[in-house]
Amino acid sequence: MVIAIGSCERCESPIEQGDLRCAICGLCVSVEQEERDVLAIEVLRCEDCGAVVEYEAEHQAPHCAFCDATMRLERIEDPVEQTELYLPFAVHGPEASRTVKRWLGSLGWFRPADLREKARVEAVRPLLWVGWAFDAEATVSWTADSNAGARRSAWAPHAGQVQLRFDDIVVSASRGLTEEEAAFLTPSYDLSSALPESEPPQETTVEKFDVQRSQARGRIRSAIRGVAARIIEKDHVPGTHTRNVKVEPLIRALVTRRYSFPAWVMAYRYEGKVYRAVVSGQDASVVLGKAPWSFARIALAIIGGLILIAGAAAAIALGS
Amino acid sequence: MIDQALSPPEMLEISCENCGADLIVEPALKTAECPYCASTSIVERPASGGHTEPVYALGFVIGRDRARELCLAWIKSRGLFTPKSFKTAPPERGRGLYSPAYLFCAVAHSEYTCQIGENYTETYTTTDSKGRVVVRTRTRTEHRSLAGRSASYVRDVLVTASAGISNKLLEQVEPFDLRALLRYTPALLSGWIAEEASVAREECRALARTESLEKIGQRLSRMMPGDSHSDLRYSTRLEDEVTDLLLLPIWVFAVKHETDAEPVQILVNGQTGEVAGFVPRSWTRILGVTLIVLLLALAVFAVVGAALSF
Repeated sequence: MVIAIGSCERCESPIEQGDLRCAICGLCVSVEQEERDVLAIEVLRCEDCGAVVEYEAEHQAPHCAFCDATMRLERIEDPVEQTELYLPFAVHGPEASRTVKRWLGSLGWFRPADLREKARVEAVRPLLWVGWAFDAEATVSWTADSNAGARRSAWAPHAGQVQLRFDDIVVSASRGLTEEEAAFLTPSYDLSSALPESEPPQETTVEKFDVQRSQARGRIRSAIRGVAARIIEKDHVPGTHTRNVKVEPLIRALVTRRYSFPAWVMAYRYEGKVYRAVVSGQDASVVLGKAPWSFARIALAIIGGLILIAGAAAAIALGS
Repeated sequence: MIDQALSPPEMLEISCENCGADLIVEPALKTAECPYCASTSIVERPASGGHTEPVYALGFVIGRDRARELCLAWIKSRGLFTPKSFKTAPPERGRGLYSPAYLFCAVAHSEYTCQIGENYTETYTTTDSKGRVVVRTRTRTEHRSLAGRSASYVRDVLVTASAGISNKLLEQVEPFDLRALLRYTPALLSGWIAEEASVAREECRALARTESLEKIGQRLSRMMPGDSHSDLRYSTRLEDEVTDLLLLPIWVFAVKHETDAEPVQILVNGQTGEVAGFVPRSWTRILGVTLIVLLLALAVFAVVGAALSF
């Protein structure tokens, strides 16, 4: 599904079908203007019945009072666009279940000792979750306070301007996964493996994009700000402590693609309660989930620690 | 603009395509209604005639009846100092008018300097009210100068190109929702009056630049780090400027409240229904209210004075 119909003359971002202006910089999308050399008087007639039409507020279009036809006007379209690229499942159901079992045994001493044995996997569901991936260039102007160059105050102001390139930055559009889960799974995917179609396993929950184009662009723009702020804070602000990191990106050549990402969503039951874990559909070693804590073991550790401290204190007291 | 006012207005003669009647059309109008067959003709002029072709238009959403209702409700809700004759005067049959405005956008490159205030806590010794020496802390601000550059897009700056509607009045019925933008087509004008842009593009551009610089100042102010800042100075270079002509849907009502006074112009935003106009003041009412307030004050004064003297 190709919807880009050209690119903006000013900022090189793709212009999509139905755009009257560039979404990034606001430049008008020009059309071939036919030369109007002669004085023209035009009476608009209905295409259906030939009567005179008139623009009407209640139809928000030129409307024919005789045959009730309305004329189509070229307006900014704001469709909900769907996935164009699917990442295939590389991890299969049984493998995902085994992974979760192994993961349950690797969570450390503070979890119940019988977690791995007693946890009963209730459902293993394949999921295709949706997200945007974008490439862009930006001139990022930034300001921040940091400890570098500080005098009496702990903070000193800094400013700068850098050119940044963003490649394949994924922004989640998923309703089923939390932001945290989507961000955790993202590095496990190989975007170059994407295909225009998919044959997901049976009973796959296939998520749809449910935001309009304009909202999607808003989310992507704020993601660019977020990513830029993190890069600036890490690589460009001098000093070791920072605050008030503010960025102003001038975006060029923003290209967005819509992906469906494979994952396995696992529900398991332990002592009557249900917990959830997600496994990447392309790398079985990437697991994120919730698991119960063993309060007995935590209490034991605290008591042990207290006894140790008391013992040490007693030893010091005796020694002196 | 002045040239136009001095030279006699050239009326345009056209004949109705529908019934053949000869029509005289004002040069500043783009549409005309034939008085004989009521067909709506659209007058298109050659682009070289000094008139700019619109690029976009916003369609009417508010119909005539709704606009009139909004206008009446607005007139009724005017304050105490509005003459009674104005509040009860019926607005004349409104005109739905496509008013020209320029939509400006550009890339802004700014260089700025600013004094950034960074706070710190200081301990000091002082004597308290009982004469004891105590150690206290206070917050002080250290001022550091900062210089930098910033680049951003400026979008959606709207400036009227109409001679009939002032920018000040137009600003009062703004904003318009630019997401509903339509590509201009003569079909939009059928049955409506459209005014040609009569303020020169350069003049509008200068206004738009001033407005853009204000926007950039606000943006830079938000951008400054530290606990506070002062003395922000900036110089901005606007590049890649684009001014596109846009037609705005506006209902114009005229209220003639006194026989010898100029009718009052009231605008209704044809897209959002926002109403604005310059309301006349009733001096007799202002005087009356002032007198009543004075009398009340005097009465209170007298009562208090009487109560105190007992």
